[in-house]
Amino acid sequence: MSLDIDSHIRHSTRHIGRSVPRREDQGPLTGRGRYVADIKIVGMLEVVFVRSIEAHARIVSIDTSEALAVEGVQAVFTAADLADVKTFPDYIPYIGPVKQRPLAEDRVRYVGAPYAAVVAVDRYIAEDAAALVAAGTTYEPLPTVADLDQALAPGAPTLHDHWESNYSFDVATHKPEVDHAFEQADHTFSETYVSQRQTGLPMETRGVVADITDGTLTVWSSTQSPHMVRSTVALMLDMPEPQVRVIHPTIGGGFGTKTHIYPEDIVVPWIARLLDQPARWIEDRMENLVASVHAREQRHDVEVAYDDDGTIRGVRCASTLDMGSGEIFMPGTAPVFVTNACVTGGYDFPNMQARTIGVVTNKTPSGAYRGFGIPEGAFVMERIIDRVARLTGTDRADLRLRMLLQPGQTPYVMHGGGRLDSGSHTESFEQGLEMTQPALERALARYADDPDVRVGVGYCNYVEPTSPSYHLTTGHWGGGDAATVRVDPDGSVRVAAGLSSFGQGAETVAAQLAADALGVSPENVTVVLGDTERAPYGLGSWGSRGAMMLTGSVLLASERLMDKARAIAAHMLEAAEADIVLTDGAFHVAGSDQPSVSWAEVGTAAWIRYVDLPDGMEPGLETSGYFHPENLQHQLDDTGKINAAASWSNGAHIGVVSVRVSTGEVRIEDYIVVHDCGTVINPALVEGQVHGGVAQGIAGAMYEHFQYDPDTANPRFASFMDYLVPTCAEVPRMEVDHFESPAPEQPLGVKGCGEGGTVGPPAVVAGAVSDALSEWGVDLTECPVTPVAVRAAIRSAEAAGAGAGS
Amino acid sequence: MTISEPISEVDVEVTINGRTRRHRVPARLLLSDYIRDTVGLTGTHLGCEHGYCGACTVIVDGDAVRSCLMLAVQADGGEVRTVEDLAPAGSDSLSPMQQAFHDNHALQCGFCTAGFLMTLESVDPGEWNEPERVVELLSGNLCRCTGYQNIVAAVTEAWSAYHGGGGSRDG
Repeated sequence: MSLDIDSHIRHSTRHIGRSVPRREDQGPLTGRGRYVADIKIVGMLEVVFVRSIEAHARIVSIDTSEALAVEGVQAVFTAADLADVKTFPDYIPYIGPVKQRPLAEDRVRYVGAPYAAVVAVDRYIAEDAAALVAAGTTYEPLPTVADLDQALAPGAPTLHDHWESNYSFDVATHKPEVDHAFEQADHTFSETYVSQRQTGLPMETRGVVADITDGTLTVWSSTQSPHMVRSTVALMLDMPEPQVRVIHPTIGGGFGTKTHIYPEDIVVPWIARLLDQPARWIEDRMENLVASVHAREQRHDVEVAYDDDGTIRGVRCASTLDMGSGEIFMPGTAPVFVTNACVTGGYDFPNMQARTIGVVTNKTPSGAYRGFGIPEGAFVMERIIDRVARLTGTDRADLRLRMLLQPGQTPYVMHGGGRLDSGSHTESFEQGLEMTQPALERALARYADDPDVRVGVGYCNYVEPTSPSYHLTTGHWGGGDAATVRVDPDGSVRVAAGLSSFGQGAETVAAQLAADALGVSPENVTVVLGDTERAPYGLGSWGSRGAMMLTGSVLLASERLMDKARAIAAHMLEAAEADIVLTDGAFHVAGSDQPSVSWAEVGTAAWIRYVDLPDGMEPGLETSGYFHPENLQHQLDDTGKINAAASWSNGAHIGVVSVRVSTGEVRIEDYIVVHDCGTVINPALVEGQVHGGVAQGIAGAMYEHFQYDPDTANPRFASFMDYLVPTCAEVPRMEVDHFESPAPEQPLGVKGCGEGGTVGPPAVVAGAVSDALSEWGVDLTECPVTPVAVRAAIRSAEAAGAGAGS
Repeated sequence: MTISEPISEVDVEVTINGRTRRHRVPARLLLSDYIRDTVGLTGTHLGCEHGYCGACTVIVDGDAVRSCLMLAVQADGGEVRTVEDLAPAGSDSLSPMQQAFHDNHALQCGFCTAGFLMTLESVDPGEWNEPERVVELLSGNLCRCTGYQNIVAAVTEAWSAYHGGGGSRDG
């Protein structure tokens, strides 16, 4: 696909496709960035939330008198005070409605649930008073459910009184052809695979600052979706949307956790409005670990039918999501649907029958985390393939090559309706295998003399839906985004987009796009993101959508602006519009670069010197584009299928690991990524997304795990001492290579790349460790692959009488 | 549980980035909050406030410390350097390490960056001149965006003279 946006624009330098340095760097590098916690307003009060220490209880009473007596405390609010605030909407019709109130009323369902808010002149005093409110709270504990088995046991205590059970939803498909495959196949097996509870864990916690001035409520929020916060705040506080302005300043990461709209996003603005004083809440890390969404906790009960030659004939997969209490807006229900939709990865495998289940438990609500269900599904498929390869004596890589989509096989409709528009599924894996060979040889040589170490290889071939529908996730919003492009009288370009950015470099990308679309230098482009007052409505950054949404919306707006600019320039040059070309920022008649008209002259004519405009032309030089991918579906079709993504990236991950048998220590010797996200706008940014995604994937594969006490549903974590975030010493060096298969139906062929990195590592590490320990017959079915888990697997294999022993 | 004792206050005099400041602050005020809220230098970020993530790293009397684990009063009479002090004053230019971070795309959201930069600033690169040592040095700071790949690349580039066995720190 050509990167020529407009054949009438000639550049001596093109910016799309180049690693243009980031314009976002200067602030954070010099300490002059502005994050939410850096905002200070005269008279600003500090809010601290009081959170449940019980996993499941009735709140009998809350004595706030001692807290109110502390000098500097301005107010203590509980649910009763917020009667005028509307309930969070339940937009999705097929899941259990949770009727979430901004503060818990008489019932708490997880440790960390907010039930009171203390307002004081400083944070220290507010925390003192919050401790007094906590001490003044009387609970009547209720029986807890700490996991899926407990939640689904007969007679289990239910979390939501208006539900009959703890099921939020249970959506099953039935495919006769899968039944047929099971009847015909040589063999079958059943297995349960488990994905553990993790979270996105941005280095910046959440935070909200709110201030009401002249009737406008301004909310600074560390959110990934400022317009959605605006709509929800306006709805719940009963204000007209134009009177609510939501700004995200610089954001210190989000990774999905900040796509949700939390109680604090509503309560802090409500406090500022009620007290007519600015108010601020900054989440601390302890509360972040229990009060920001968790993710990834799923159980997969699978049945597999296969033949002696390794052919997998059919799979039935029941995926059950542990939703925590479910009290989060938007609900955290969608990832498990994505798991099932994407479970077959880059493989040509239609015979998948999926059942998708959501269950509530007395834990932190689960929600979005980078990858959004894809890693969980990839883990299942790759573990199945490895098992079948082992059972049938088939080479694991060969079996994958037999199953992968071949060149020319796209567009390909997956079992659930996902339409893989393009990709390099086989090519990426073959390239990865080639890169793996020297890595494997190095590792084998390194440990040749160490009888305690085994070496193994793990594989994952995934697909990554990009720019997805948000309707399935929210039951409300769609999947488009808008940009406004303006050329000012001095010729400067301003791009304002509804998209947001929390570290990806979207501002740099927007400037690259506008620069090439308008024939200017990126330095001449000012980019405005993340402010509902200055940018058009957009859904923000999530779902690997930023690159495509910016490309679509900025190019659409720019094309409209160019049409008008060309008409103005033609008039000024007394030439026909069709003859006007733009070379390095100057309009002129094709064939001669003199005389010429600059962007500043066109901008001045449009805004100021109307005398230079063609007769009857409407003044101004500002256009908007609302981009919505045409092929994006928001609702299931008649057959229950949906293509809920505008395009699909793909990749192959391969890891070489060493395992020390005596200790269970796993070391990733080499990690190889071959990645295809279509047309690349900025290679350095794409590579950065891959690096960060893989590191988070490794975190899930080997380290991070939120564990709860099974008897009390109390968290067994309180800090970074218990929730193990990988450091530089744990993340291996990565080798990254790229293919570019442009999205055939999207502008410039851009797909998206935010999440793919997270997908491979759990499958790769479990596969590689199982391979390394194949002499014992170890076949890991869950993550994290810790030394304890590895030793347990070896011991249990030895107890079963297999293997060489050690 | 009651709070009856008034919070005691103390006078502190701290030289921050070459400027001496005097404040009367609550005795329990963390150095991190003092730097950010009292002095108003918000380039130092709080990632965990329990001494683990390293985002709040500053240099006190020559040593890298986690400012969330220290009280302001403990810095009384001391000299503190923060990220705001790294770039040459009065210009848009960056220090060599900041420049290397920019050139190598070693930051994404940027929230942890100040902590990394101050950790690096606190050591003599000549003593950290092997790749494994760089990893060890950086392993006290968490980054969630970069997978550390480009941070290591930036440090390697900025310290290439040392790793090659010569050159000056600013070279």
